[in-house]
Amino acid sequence: MLRAENVHKRYGDLEVLRGVTFDVDPGQVKVLIGPSGSGKSTLLRCLCLLEEPEAGAVTLEARRPGPGEVGMVFQRFNLFQNMTALENVMSGLVTVRGLSKSDARGQAMEFLNRVGLAEKAAQYPEELSGGQQQRVAIARALVMQPKAMLFDEPTSALDVELVREVLDVMESLAQDGMTMVVVSHELRFAHSVASSVLMMDEGRIIEEAPPGEFFSSPKQERTKRFLSLVE
Amino acid sequence: MLASFDTHLFWQALSSGPYWRGALTALELTAASLGTAVFIGFAVALGALSRRRGVRSISWVYNWLFRATPTLLQLFFFWYALPQIWTGFAGSWFTPFMAAWIALSLNEAAYMSEIIRSGLMSVDPGQELAGRALGMSRRQILRKVVVPQAVRIVIPPTGNEFITLLKLTSLASVISLHELLTSANELATATFRYNETLLAALVYYLVIVSILMVFQARLERRFTWTSGRRRGRVAAPAIPSIPHG
Repeated sequence: MLRAENVHKRYGDLEVLRGVTFDVDPGQVKVLIGPSGSGKSTLLRCLCLLEEPEAGAVTLEARRPGPGEVGMVFQRFNLFQNMTALENVMSGLVTVRGLSKSDARGQAMEFLNRVGLAEKAAQYPEELSGGQQQRVAIARALVMQPKAMLFDEPTSALDVELVREVLDVMESLAQDGMTMVVVSHELRFAHSVASSVLMMDEGRIIEEAPPGEFFSSPKQERTKRFLSLVE
Repeated sequence: MLASFDTHLFWQALSSGPYWRGALTALELTAASLGTAVFIGFAVALGALSRRRGVRSISWVYNWLFRATPTLLQLFFFWYALPQIWTGFAGSWFTPFMAAWIALSLNEAAYMSEIIRSGLMSVDPGQELAGRALGMSRRQILRKVVVPQAVRIVIPPTGNEFITLLKLTSLASVISLHELLTSANELATATFRYNETLLAALVYYLVIVSILMVFQARLERRFTWTSGRRRGRVAAPAIPSIPHG
């Protein structure tokens, strides 16, 4: 279980997270929504230890997550520009896990294949579409065999017609039982895949419910207002 | 009226030993100084980008010191003053070439550090974020991700620096380093023919810079991250052949 307990985070005078407690059980998919600046991205960054919280703790199965154990997918893909698709997927295995290049290559190809991009292995990020880049980024995180995957608005930098291919990969991951936390305003995705949907506002989680209930009868006034703007 | 041009003297100068050795000295001094300057400059650039204030100020002082003082003064300092301050440098092993190497390296490192710093800063911060999310250390991210991408930005201004340095090496004649321009000057004084002797030296500079430009273009292609750069290596089919019936 991935858990954040009473997490506080501030940047200078700005208090971004004001005591967030949150957990995901294995196989669950939680979708976070909320206005910009509500702390969604910061919460994800704390969950994968990109940010160190000032107070509170992040634990994975009751201990601190190790490198690569919580995978992260970014809005802007952030593929290494100086590496091919295959080298991107191999990079964590070689530098962090210390695998030999040939072992890493085999595993990386397997995961590129899984996101449907085996034939793009030798291409550089610059030569791939946004959707393809994001799928490579997903493979790069998956190859580390993470216990949980975090997605920070994975489709919001994409052209409309490229959103689907990324959501397809994410849906198949969810079906395979991957534990996921997704920041996204793709409400259809949340509806069909999420175990529960969470609303964040001003550094707190203000509502959590299964998607059916969350979308049909939100309890908080803030959630109602936000949903009416997103839909 | 146009004065006569002594073609024979021109060719003689061009193929003479002193010219050739002078050009080689200039090229060696440039390459050695730039190579050293890249290393020192990289360290100074990392210092300038450090999160520690003390480290940042060391880099600042370094750049301030070496950019604010004339190169000629620095050459004089390392050739004349250094052996007086530190008698270890007073021996005959300490040649004008070494003094010029030290002076030009330290001087050039200040300029290189600014070039390298801007290269490092031009790399998208998202690249580092992705590396950290995978569990890479800062050192690994720097080596495998940030530096290779910064190199592409750094190459063109470094080519500029090479050319500037090559021309600066002629300054080292003041500390009795025998480089290309010294050879040209000697021959000119001996023959009273400035036209042919200086033109021959000019040809050497042009040739060296031309070679550098070819080398730089190759290096830039090497650090361009598209598979298209491979097409440059493997001969591309130029014109599709028409099948013969």
